[in-house]
Amino acid sequence: MRILVVEDDTTNREFLRRSLEENSYHPVLADSAAQAELAIQSVEIDGAIIDLMLPDGDGLSLIQRLKAGGLNAPVLILSAKRSVDERVLGLETGGDDYLTKPYAITELLARLRNLMRRTETQPPETKTVLQVKDLKMDLLRREATRGDQVLDLTTREFALLEFLCRNAGRMVTRSMILDQVWGMRIEPETNVVDVHIYRLRNKMERRGERPLLRTIRGMGYVLNDN
Amino acid sequence: MFSTTTKTGVTAAWRISLGSTIVFALGTTIAFLLLHHYVAQEIQRRSDAWLTGEVSVLTDVAEKTPRGALYDRIVDEIAELATKEVPVGRGPVGDPTRAVFFLETDADNTLKLWVGPGDGDIFLRAIQHSHFTPEAPVNLPIAQFPVPYRVVQYLADDGSRIYLGMSERNDRQVLGRLRTWFLVIFIAIVLLGFAITFVSSRRLLRRVQGITETAAAIDEDNLQSRVPANSGNDEVAQLAATMNRMLDRIARAVSQLHTMSDSLAHDLRSPLTAVRGKLETALMADNQEQSEENVASAIEELDRLSNLLTTSLDVAEAKAGALRMHRTRFSLNALIQSMTELYEPSLMEHRITLHIEEDSEIFLDADAGLFHRMLANLLDNAIRHLPPDTTIWIALQQDQDHVRLRIRDNGPGYPPEVQSRLFEKHAKGAASQGHGLGLAFVHAVVTAHGGEVVGCNRETGGTQLTLQLPTRATRTADSYSLAG
Repeated sequence: MRILVVEDDTTNREFLRRSLEENSYHPVLADSAAQAELAIQSVEIDGAIIDLMLPDGDGLSLIQRLKAGGLNAPVLILSAKRSVDERVLGLETGGDDYLTKPYAITELLARLRNLMRRTETQPPETKTVLQVKDLKMDLLRREATRGDQVLDLTTREFALLEFLCRNAGRMVTRSMILDQVWGMRIEPETNVVDVHIYRLRNKMERRGERPLLRTIRGMGYVLNDN
Repeated sequence: MFSTTTKTGVTAAWRISLGSTIVFALGTTIAFLLLHHYVAQEIQRRSDAWLTGEVSVLTDVAEKTPRGALYDRIVDEIAELATKEVPVGRGPVGDPTRAVFFLETDADNTLKLWVGPGDGDIFLRAIQHSHFTPEAPVNLPIAQFPVPYRVVQYLADDGSRIYLGMSERNDRQVLGRLRTWFLVIFIAIVLLGFAITFVSSRRLLRRVQGITETAAAIDEDNLQSRVPANSGNDEVAQLAATMNRMLDRIARAVSQLHTMSDSLAHDLRSPLTAVRGKLETALMADNQEQSEENVASAIEELDRLSNLLTTSLDVAEAKAGALRMHRTRFSLNALIQSMTELYEPSLMEHRITLHIEEDSEIFLDADAGLFHRMLANLLDNAIRHLPPDTTIWIALQQDQDHVRLRIRDNGPGYPPEVQSRLFEKHAKGAASQGHGLGLAFVHAVVTAHGGEVVGCNRETGGTQLTLQLPTRATRTADSYSLAG
């Protein structure tokens, strides 16, 4: 899938290119709004990552122009500005998701994946059962089992596990968990998320076995599916 | 540079005075011309009235006096008397300075009687050369006399013509004097007016120049210059006062900016040093595991740094009255509920109990994101500072259009060294591991929403923080948040 990357900082652009290529996307690079508009005339794109601070005007008006020009692909906004109203403005202007710099590349990829899935023509995910190895989640009955043992989870733990299962094999960051499971964009200074994970682990992991839910230091967690 | 401004001041004063003087002079001249015209007309009208009146009397006398030896004498006497009514030039008959003449001709235009200055024939010739309508005065130039005469003709019944003339000398003298006086007074007034305008406008412009010099002296290093305060309340004094107020505001904003960047630099230095240290260690590490450990630790430090930057900027913006907010209406109870749910496991790990005291659901018009972060800050503080086996009480109370949020604990209380400056940035106890922004951020969020926050140590031990917030966005709160 072709992803338009509009970012004026060379280091960040190269980093994005490499990360996208490693994840089997085809990045189309642009370092200014003008170049982006030129690029979009010659190739069809499936998604866009646009930095708000561009040398030739702000990204918001670029998004407006692209959307007005008939662009249907989802847009992920990157910004160094952090205030809430910037975010709201970005989403109102036509951005589909928003990420503040500095971001974890894992989170960017996860958000991009979500955006791409949202616009795919297939009907939305109707799976009512999620399975990772011998961990099963029945979303209708709100029941999680490991092997034949039913896990005694709180509502929030169930939501947390569901989020991990949906992203099985992929890393999720703490801020993704806070955003998706608790609906908050905060950066706690203490290990509140880790404690929740620790409790979930206690309920789902089996003694002596290789853990299903792995911690990646400094980044986040991944639920292994292989 | 100052010499140019002085010159500019003088030329401007010169221009203003010259302009106003020219306008004044032109106006006065036009007014004088109108007045002169009116006076001249009026003088002539009066002369004409006298002439026509007098000529009819003389004609009457001439007609009624029987022709004979006495006729000439009687008419001569009457004419003599008439000429004496004119105030100037009452010389004897034949005196060239006499202003009035009386002349009578026969029907065949021969001189019959002459009372007047000099030779009557000169007048007769002049009369014969011009055209007369009876009883209508005309101007008659006479050879040898520099000033023309105003002459009126009267036809007597016997066909003789009677002419009465009066020199316009008097009229011209009156008008001449009027012009002379006007000119003297005019020149005096114009010069005086010019001088006064020049001096006063130069004084005014000197004050403006003072403002210019102050503005020129203002630069990055010197924001302290002020325009000298002028007495009075005229426009220039107001300009000076406005200028001084503007300079005050700029100086305040610049100092805020300095404080902001200083504190940011201060906030960033130590974490950056830590990150650098960790990465250096990772680079030099002997084994992969140790290297990875240090890189991961550096990333964690960077996350903290990014968070610190955000909070620090928010606190600085709120202090400068420029914190941007996105208000929505939400239930404070629900927000606290989800927050406690997130933090409860952590609190339990630290053996801290949390009690919520609430009686009714309270809705707020506020920035939910900022409230989330504020509560996270407070709970992070609690986890870091409270010893095990302590309790936190969060009490929610609504009082008409205000909500009171009281957070108490039974821990050791605020250390004495920070008690007096709880809400200042970097206020933290000697033993604290935090960056000292937690309560400063709480204060920033509460004031940005138009509320108040008070913190103290309880008498029974532990801390108490009371937040008072308006439930609805007030005008003042909004203007506070939008200011700057």
